[in-house]
Amino acid sequence: MNRNLLYRGLLILVVVAIAAISAWPLEDKINLGLDLRGGMHLVLEVQVEDAVKSEIDNAMERILQDARDEGISTVQARREGEQIVVTGVPPERDEVIARIRQDFLGPSWDWDRFGDRIVFELTAAGRAEIRDGAVRQALQTIDNRINAYGVSEPVIAQLGSSDRIVVQLPGVDDPERIRELIKNTAFLEFRLSDYPRAGGGASSREEVLANYGGQLPDDVEILEGDITDPEGRRVGAQYYAVTRRSVVTGRDLKNARPSLGQFNEPVVNFTFNPQGAQRFGEVTGANIGRGLAIVLDDRVVSAPTIEDRISDSGIIRGNFTQREVEDLSLVLRSGALPAGIVYLEERTVGPSLGRDSIEQGLRAGLIGFGLVVLVMLIVYKLTGINAVVALALNVVIVFGALAYFGATLTLPGIAGIILTVGMAVDANVLVFERIREELHAGRTVKSAIDAGFSKALSSIVDANVTTLIAALFLFQFGTGPIRGFAVTLSVGIFASVFTAVFVSRWLFDLQLARRQRVERLSI
Amino acid sequence: MEFFRDSHIDFMKYRRFWIGVSLLVLAAGIFSIFVHGQLNVGIDFAGGTQLTLKFAESPEIDRLRSVLSQAGIEDAQIQRFGESGENEVLIKTPTAEGTEEGSRDPVVEAIDRAFNEGDGAELDLNRDGVEDVAEALLAADPDNVAGGGDAETARAHYEGVADAVLEVRREEGLIPAWEALAGAPGVSRAAFEVLRAQAALGEFTVLGVENVGPQMGRELRQKGILAVVLSLVGMLLYIWFRFELRFGIGALMATVHDVIVGLFLFALAGFEFNLTTIAAFLTLVGYSVNDTVVIFDRMRENMRKTPQKPLVEVMNESLNQTLSRTVLTSGTTLIAVGSLLALGGDVLRGFAFVLTIGIIVGTYSSIYIASPFALVWEQYFGSAARGVRKGARAASRRTSGRSETPRRSRRAS
Repeated sequence: MNRNLLYRGLLILVVVAIAAISAWPLEDKINLGLDLRGGMHLVLEVQVEDAVKSEIDNAMERILQDARDEGISTVQARREGEQIVVTGVPPERDEVIARIRQDFLGPSWDWDRFGDRIVFELTAAGRAEIRDGAVRQALQTIDNRINAYGVSEPVIAQLGSSDRIVVQLPGVDDPERIRELIKNTAFLEFRLSDYPRAGGGASSREEVLANYGGQLPDDVEILEGDITDPEGRRVGAQYYAVTRRSVVTGRDLKNARPSLGQFNEPVVNFTFNPQGAQRFGEVTGANIGRGLAIVLDDRVVSAPTIEDRISDSGIIRGNFTQREVEDLSLVLRSGALPAGIVYLEERTVGPSLGRDSIEQGLRAGLIGFGLVVLVMLIVYKLTGINAVVALALNVVIVFGALAYFGATLTLPGIAGIILTVGMAVDANVLVFERIREELHAGRTVKSAIDAGFSKALSSIVDANVTTLIAALFLFQFGTGPIRGFAVTLSVGIFASVFTAVFVSRWLFDLQLARRQRVERLSI
Repeated sequence: MEFFRDSHIDFMKYRRFWIGVSLLVLAAGIFSIFVHGQLNVGIDFAGGTQLTLKFAESPEIDRLRSVLSQAGIEDAQIQRFGESGENEVLIKTPTAEGTEEGSRDPVVEAIDRAFNEGDGAELDLNRDGVEDVAEALLAADPDNVAGGGDAETARAHYEGVADAVLEVRREEGLIPAWEALAGAPGVSRAAFEVLRAQAALGEFTVLGVENVGPQMGRELRQKGILAVVLSLVGMLLYIWFRFELRFGIGALMATVHDVIVGLFLFALAGFEFNLTTIAAFLTLVGYSVNDTVVIFDRMRENMRKTPQKPLVEVMNESLNQTLSRTVLTSGTTLIAVGSLLALGGDVLRGFAFVLTIGIIVGTYSSIYIASPFALVWEQYFGSAARGVRKGARAASRRTSGRSETPRRSRRAS
């Protein structure tokens, strides 16, 4: 065997060996997509507008509070669209406003005086910052929650630079629970009760309103809560007028965990961090005998009466089930979502569906492969073996490349491999037909083979490039499963060109080298 | 075995007839799809919710429909899915504009109320996850592992048992009866008894959910159309670059024909048009051009060999020469894809159908559409036509007195 033949043979061996080793054992080495493994794929959108709005509200509160602290008792503020309009500040006190903006609000805000109104407005940069911050925080929070729940190999990522987050969770048995877990805004607040002062809520909104003579003061709002029977079932609603400003929020929590209450009912046991504890202690100490509303996502969960100064821990009791208490603790620990999220797209595949798909796909693939082999042998006789070997190596290389590069195999991806099997023989057919023609035209076996390969090459290249272009567009346009298809198709094309041009040629040359002159070719 | 050695079929003879037939079919296809709206558009593009449910016993479609409409869900498309013994059902509901989240929860709750009524138990082994099952087992402690004081090991133990229970569900999709659990590995007799006493085996399970909000549906629609259009343009440019414009036009016509005929037959067969099928169409585009290119390559070679021969003859010759290869390659690819169509399962059926049709129609179009159109383009817009016109003008100038040597018409290159 001459040198050239040997080296080429070694190259082929090395390529195949790498492929085979990368892909064996198959079940462990190939990365399965969600549609084959089973799992959830979610695309959610962070409602950044909510975050912007609540940031504006917070700023407004701040302005009001600080201005009053500085002695401007006539100050009023309200939100108009995305602006805060402040009135009742005499022009001489403008430096107070300037200081508030300087020290507390920061460079995201611009302000100006228009006669007796002062208008605060968010800068574009400030707005963008809130938006980015909201998405980043949502990402972190969701990450925390999923890790706490314990899903293996989750994928949680921002989609480009948009407001969207994609979440992929393989092997999930209870998708409903996870969906709720992620979506739960879990914004916890502790607010002082204004009316009823203590001892539960009023039976209707009107009753609460009546207490204020029909007009709620600026710093109070009405929230709804549930009335439950001893079994914990909801039997009605009650209403509370609570302060708008919260004493402490979920952000001040250090920990939250499930526990058992006085009557062995599931409760959440929480502890505050030092700043939270201090503030909480001050307020509870100054308001003994008053109701403290525990508000979760703007609903009153419970409103116990403050019996004593509470500083660092307490319980949230609210007719929860064990599971609700666990989920709530998890969600409180992971932090609140800065804004609501909406699920734009969800695809959940149960593991049994995935397994069925794999089974069916493999079956179709094996039978297809077998039939194609049969056809090649019938049509091209012994030379057909050349094509069969090339085809077999082709499949090995495709799986090897998938495993080596960590590409994900999806259900359309399996279809892509099957398609590649059908198309891969095309390159071989082009060459073999050419060789037949040249033999017919009277060439010797060796020169026919040479001519066959050289003339067919441009066809092979052109034809495969066009399919590659299609695969490129598929990759660009597609998500998950489609991308898997594009990848296997592309890999298959490269592998089939390699095997048809390089490996087949080598096999022919091997055959020629065996004897001095080859008279006939079984083709 | 050789096919078509020395065949001399005159493909180009009836080309006007074939072009006419193709245009007719194209028109029918466009009408049926776009005007008649016969395409079954899936939720990927129309938005909506699609649930795949598996029942312990085959449910009656009518009962499901009435359960849903009682819950206020009209417009639900319900159909059977998968193999007949599997009792799997597909429920598709559209999503109203403005509600991104669809009707997944209402549908599942409605069916739960109707089919699982009177169960009593809070734990449904066909719906709940590992944690809930483990909790229940931990509370009852049938295997007596919690007494030792090490809560972690006890919990881990029961999570393992719960996982084994759910593995039965993962395999089959649904746990149909208690017997199926009885012999499960990793589940002790005592644990089994506890579950049997405390839990229920729901009548159905959710195998899969797909929910696409209207906003997402809109975006996917746009992206899909863009992808198909761009890839067609990309093909045209590539062929123009590698061959000539007239061949590019021919290939483009053939491919557009294939896509529309494919869509037409696809719509007739009633398959659902979704993301996977668009991928199939894009592949069809690639394959169709692939096929056409091989034939064009041969034509280019022949034109170089015999530049004086008229294009019609060159085309016929090339088509005959490549016939063997065309039939064989289409044949093998058809075998592979046909196998997928027959055995590949429901999810890929639409996909495989498109590819199968694509191969058959693509082969037809490479022969009967690409070349005739390239020829027609050449005759009306091509360099030979221009040469003829210039020659005619020069001739008329000569007769009016000005001398000008008529330029020879450019050779086909």
